[in-house]
Amino acid sequence: MAWILVLTIIFIYLFFVLFLGSWAGRGRESSVVEYIAASRGLGFIVMYFLMGGAIFSAFAYLGGPGWAYSKGAAAFYIVGYCALGLVPWWLWGPRALRAGKKFQYVTQAQLFSDRFQSKALSVIIAVVSILAFIQYITLQMKGCAYVFEIASEGRIRFEYGALIAYVVVLIYVFFGGVRGVAWTHVFQGVFMVVTAWVLGLYLAYNLYGGPSEMFRQIAQANPTHLLVGPGAKMSFAAFASALLVSVLGFSMWPHLFMKAYTAKSERVLKQTIVFYPTFAIFLVPVLFIGFAGIMQVKPDELGAADRILPWMFSHMQFPPVAVGLILAAALAAAMSTQDTITHAAGSIFAQDFVEVLKKEKHSDREARMWVRISVVCFGAVSYMVAIFGGQTLVALLLGAYGSIVQLLPLAAATFFWPRATKTGAICGILAGVLYNYAIVLKIIPTFWDIHAGIQGLVLNFIVLIAVSLLTNPMDREHVQKFATL
Amino acid sequence: MSDQQEKVGYGITVFRPGTPASAKMRGIVFFIIFCIIILVQSFYWLFANSAKPFVLGMPFGMFFIVLFIMIEFAALIILYFLESKNIEEKGDV
Repeated sequence: MAWILVLTIIFIYLFFVLFLGSWAGRGRESSVVEYIAASRGLGFIVMYFLMGGAIFSAFAYLGGPGWAYSKGAAAFYIVGYCALGLVPWWLWGPRALRAGKKFQYVTQAQLFSDRFQSKALSVIIAVVSILAFIQYITLQMKGCAYVFEIASEGRIRFEYGALIAYVVVLIYVFFGGVRGVAWTHVFQGVFMVVTAWVLGLYLAYNLYGGPSEMFRQIAQANPTHLLVGPGAKMSFAAFASALLVSVLGFSMWPHLFMKAYTAKSERVLKQTIVFYPTFAIFLVPVLFIGFAGIMQVKPDELGAADRILPWMFSHMQFPPVAVGLILAAALAAAMSTQDTITHAAGSIFAQDFVEVLKKEKHSDREARMWVRISVVCFGAVSYMVAIFGGQTLVALLLGAYGSIVQLLPLAAATFFWPRATKTGAICGILAGVLYNYAIVLKIIPTFWDIHAGIQGLVLNFIVLIAVSLLTNPMDREHVQKFATL
Repeated sequence: MSDQQEKVGYGITVFRPGTPASAKMRGIVFFIIFCIIILVQSFYWLFANSAKPFVLGMPFGMFFIVLFIMIEFAALIILYFLESKNIEEKGDV
């Protein structure tokens, strides 16, 4: 009957998050700027957790230990890119914030399409973003479903587990908007970090007498597991290019980039960037969980590497309360990414796709309704992909994931290079995205072992610069508005 | 970028108009520092692709990555305090 207690704890957590998220949006003005950008008024603590919750995803919480268990030192790249991910934001975050206030932007594509005077660019960015989001959110849904499956000892099936978590997310995103997402992240962030540290250190000390002894035994049993390069699970080129593409692309993710519009001031934005590396330090004990499993269970016995975290605590004879708290933390990791992406995807589809293609502008009330409808529709589509997604679709979506970094040249050109033109921007992003897809779909071979996103990015920059220089410059007064922000 | 292009307003614009020379120099120095930190972490295997010695309970490679995260954190704090006088509190534009 222990599973009833475990499920009770998980449902208490879900009710609390539902209440907090829905409550956060109460009494606020009913406008698109409030729903998408919290009326540009979030303070440091909320901004810090809002951004941090996005990286503490199912990938970090379930996939991170899985990587440490199966790929060893390759998992260090997760810690590295999480720490560095927001550093490039120092360059364009404050500029995006000023642009948002000055020109009333609430999404990333609004900024780029206004700079390049192109509705087509807005639609391209919306499509690329939403394809990438679906792939990302499918991972989170699978993580949630997995948690329910384990908690109920197989009584709650995959499709129902994914549905329960997603309905909770949908409700508070629908009613609370970005403010609801932000306040749930504060609670979820603290909860996840505390659980990760307690569990990671407990396992290392309980099973091995400490982390040093744990790593000594791993190095002795498998000398290449704590290395990268020849004989290890990740090549030198793959490690370096994966970290670089992640760092360059991280702040380009639309759901993170558009958070620049939610900050109360430039000071708050920069404080968030300064303290962001601390989230990477919080991830270190999460990897300890995976490393602790290496000497405990063989890969054949475990099945998928992502199962290492639940396997570890299910074999540690933990009391049901502890199991419930650990599973609730894993659920928090998945939901804290799911909610922010659901909110961003709904906002982007409504603002950058529907609003752009419509001849007459929506009223604020209509626009807000469209965002909410988009949130629900995006949720439904993602759920269907998670349940019924086939291999071709998965490959397409993986390509979209690598495409996000192709937005980087647009940001650089918007803020730093007034000579960049509309044609150059469109040709550049299309070249980068298509080249990236061509590698992912194996139409062309990959160059050495370098990440497809990096290869596409180099081509993207070359095309943007060459085509811009070959075409007439845009109106000087217009482009200078962005270069002098 | 040629001087002529600069004059017509299409040259590369890294700093906002009116930025003091000292702030420009500071920006360039910190840009280089962060580029080095990013490159060192990406190519950490050139310097620390080893399990031993174990430092603070971590294999040397992992410790090296964490060390550079701490250096990055310290650099960000220093940059923040150096720039704090110029940061617009209200973000008015």
